[in-house]
Amino acid sequence: MNKLALIVLLFICIYADEPISPIPLKNNINTEKAKLGQLLFCDPILSQDNSTACVSCHDIYGGGADSRAVSIGFAGREGNIHAPSVLNAKYNFKQFWNGRAENLLEQANEPINNPLEHAMNFHSIEQRMNASPMYKEKFQKVYHVSFISYRLVLDAIVEFENTLTTPNAKFDKFLRHEIKLDKEEEEGYILFKQYGCITCHNGVNIGGNSFQKMGTFLEYTSKKEYPDRSKVTHDKNHKNVFKVPTLRNITLSAPYFHDASKQTLKEAIIAMSEHNLGIKLSDQEIEKIIAFLHTLEGERPYILDIK
Amino acid sequence: MVLGAVSCISIVYFYILQRNFSKNHREFKIALNSLQDNHQELNYLILQNSISVYSNQDQIAKDTNNLLVDYETLSQSHILNSSKYKKIQKDLLILKEQLKNNSQNVEEFLMLSAGIKNSLLFLTRHVENGIALKHNGQNIFFSAGKILKHFNDAIRMQDLDYLKNGNFLLPTDTTNQKIKDYATSFNAHSSFLMKKYPEFIQITKQVLSSNIDASINKIRTSFFTISRNDFAALDMFALILFTVFSSSLLGTIFLLFLYIKENKKLLETKESLEHSLSYDLLTNLYNRRMLEKKLKSSIAPHLLLLDIDEFKHINDIYGNAIGNLLLQKMARFIQVKLSDIPDISLYRLSADEFGVLFDDTQEVVVLSIAHMLEKEIAKHTFTIDDLELNVLVSISSNNVSPILENADLALKLLKKDYTKRVLAYQENLNLKKSAQENFETVALIRDALAEDRIIPYFQPIINLKTSKIEKYEALVRLQMKNGTILSPFRFLEVSKKTPYYREITKVIIEKTLATLKEYPSLRFSINISMIDILDEEIVKIFLSHLRENMPDSSRLDIELLESENIQNIEKVKHFIGEVKKFGSQILLDDFGSGYSNFAYFSDLDIDMIKIDGSIISEITTSERKLHMLKSIYQFSKGMHMINIAEFVETREMALLLKEVGVKYAQGYYFSQPLAKPLDYTDVSI
Repeated sequence: MNKLALIVLLFICIYADEPISPIPLKNNINTEKAKLGQLLFCDPILSQDNSTACVSCHDIYGGGADSRAVSIGFAGREGNIHAPSVLNAKYNFKQFWNGRAENLLEQANEPINNPLEHAMNFHSIEQRMNASPMYKEKFQKVYHVSFISYRLVLDAIVEFENTLTTPNAKFDKFLRHEIKLDKEEEEGYILFKQYGCITCHNGVNIGGNSFQKMGTFLEYTSKKEYPDRSKVTHDKNHKNVFKVPTLRNITLSAPYFHDASKQTLKEAIIAMSEHNLGIKLSDQEIEKIIAFLHTLEGERPYILDIK
Repeated sequence: MVLGAVSCISIVYFYILQRNFSKNHREFKIALNSLQDNHQELNYLILQNSISVYSNQDQIAKDTNNLLVDYETLSQSHILNSSKYKKIQKDLLILKEQLKNNSQNVEEFLMLSAGIKNSLLFLTRHVENGIALKHNGQNIFFSAGKILKHFNDAIRMQDLDYLKNGNFLLPTDTTNQKIKDYATSFNAHSSFLMKKYPEFIQITKQVLSSNIDASINKIRTSFFTISRNDFAALDMFALILFTVFSSSLLGTIFLLFLYIKENKKLLETKESLEHSLSYDLLTNLYNRRMLEKKLKSSIAPHLLLLDIDEFKHINDIYGNAIGNLLLQKMARFIQVKLSDIPDISLYRLSADEFGVLFDDTQEVVVLSIAHMLEKEIAKHTFTIDDLELNVLVSISSNNVSPILENADLALKLLKKDYTKRVLAYQENLNLKKSAQENFETVALIRDALAEDRIIPYFQPIINLKTSKIEKYEALVRLQMKNGTILSPFRFLEVSKKTPYYREITKVIIEKTLATLKEYPSLRFSINISMIDILDEEIVKIFLSHLRENMPDSSRLDIELLESENIQNIEKVKHFIGEVKKFGSQILLDDFGSGYSNFAYFSDLDIDMIKIDGSIISEITTSERKLHMLKSIYQFSKGMHMINIAEFVETREMALLLKEVGVKYAQGYYFSQPLAKPLDYTDVSI
């Protein structure tokens, strides 16, 4: 018995480094480019009917995600999945719920071309961009080009998205040994580890570095069909497999899950512990975990405060 | 040139090729190493992850991504464009498949690992909670502990054997609800582990035992094998390049050689140009320079020197234009006459001097040609415009080195001998010796002047009527260091060709004047030739001395020596006028010999005539000479000129002269020339 406890302890001791790392404070960013990207990110000019901008579904001033269950795009068409947060997206190992984009550039390309979202293509984007004296001037200034190519539009947007990090969360400061967590928060973190949440939610983004099955332990059923990992790998075992979402700013990005089926964190935690951990948490434990999750709220991306 | 350019371009090309190849080679190598490093790190992380309860998976995700990025770099490496690397491309495709599988396996591993760890964590916790169970729950607790141990062992050892043959579920047939719930929860996770664990082990093994490393090593080996060949090819290329470079260097040297050769040709052209400068412009024969050159290259040279007699007269009489035309005609004539003779070359050496150079020809032949040529020229009438000219030539012949000098000497000698027209140089002509003597004489004069050994000797001139010495003739002498006295014929002719002649004249004037002052009752005379009078410097010296020594200088008379062909008689006339102002008398010397010209007496104011020794010495033996004497005397008398007879050697001669009426006489009968005038004036006849 003691021997077993010892082994567990030993494992923890050997890997004493916390499996979560803080968001780097240094961000090697071309601000001019990023500001141009921000402009594009917020400009509905990138949608066919001038109705939808990137920011329409990715609330960079809130949790970075869409507070709606599914996003509404071009001509009011609904998307097929809950828009994930764009904040700290650069730390995700792949993009989209099912990881079909290797990076932000690939990601950004898709909604622009998606008929349900921006319903544009590179040609129409270039036409619109080059028709705009304001953009022509800005691209000339930033990229020193007289023709605005689609590639440069994406490049600016990606540069902007790369600035969308939320550093200095309380927990990051704790990791950097700058502060101590409150008792409840700390207990929440310990529970988070003990119950195994950490096995999937780890790394700088506390998630976003592996695919996992929604319902490993207990089958999870949705009302609808969602674009899960099986759509990429064509492996039926990968049904309900998604990229583990980041837990940074999770308290600010309700609703939860790919299907936005849970409105509150508590519901989401209960669902996750049932389906993926095979455990039942007490209310007290849930509260503690929520307290911990609150420490993951970071600062607003600095770029948003630059005029 | 082309070779040089080609080798230069090749060097640049080789440099680029070499640089590109090295760059591509390095690029591929780096990508391959990076791929392997990533893969090994990934394996390590997977192993770590499989053992540890939880870990940061960021690095696993990153490495998985990097593997694909590395692969992209690798597969797009420029070096693979070469067909030689096709084999590697095949291996790369295999690697790509392996990487893809591995990536999926890693994803799978992470999924399985999460569930297994969570269940294991749960069981660990659950077993702990079992301590609280009462009654037969204690057995359940122990059983649970035992099962957990199996799971832990299996996970630690990564060995499924630990999960074989055993019951890993707790009994649920208890009525105790608490125990039942406990067992149910336990069994849920236990059966999850039982189900997932073999998959986990399998996937872990698949990940860790992937053939990626082997594939990478294989690619590396074949890459190095192929690239070694490429490097060898590059080396070969470098060698070829070096060869090309060396040969272009050799080519350059060859071109340089050609250039030198070309330059030599140029020099030869220059030489021929110079050669053309070696022609005499007037006659188009070779000139003296060419002769000198030719003499150096000849094996056995034999030179004929041909000189036109009295050419100076032709120039003087008909003018230079005719003279030049004659020279041209002469040149053509000689050319034509000698056109059949082999191994000769023709030259114009100076004004009227021509040269014919034979090489390796018998002396007899050359001389016969010389005689032939002389005769032909003498026979020939040169027609210039409407002028007909007959000229004679003197020809000297020489084959004794120094060719030109000896020929010249022979020619000079020949010129003095009117009986011969052709003369061959012979050592015994002693011409050279006389030239040597000339040289020695010049040195003698120079030294004598420097040491004041040029002195006048005085020969008394006797008035035959009064038997008194009235005059002395000053005669130049050179006193040798040993005291011997040299008469003028030994040195005066030679001195005339040197600046010393003026010096001598000056010295004699000065010394004569000095002596003259000592003998106030006597007159003195000095010899001066008409040619001398043409020399303004001598005239100047003379006149200035007369002026400075007035009135004594009025007792100094001038014995004017007749010279050949006096051109400017006006100058002589002027000189006589000048000296007469000082009271000097003019005496015409050596009258009756040479060109003695009566014209002098019409032009020149002459006071006395000295009758030449050739007449005087024979007056007692030759009626003709006596008659000549008498005629001269009569002529002189008519012209109011006084006569002096020289070379009077006997009393008989003196008496005869007195009888004829000649006023003065001089000669050995009375006295030879003396260092000083005599103390007395009376002599007996």
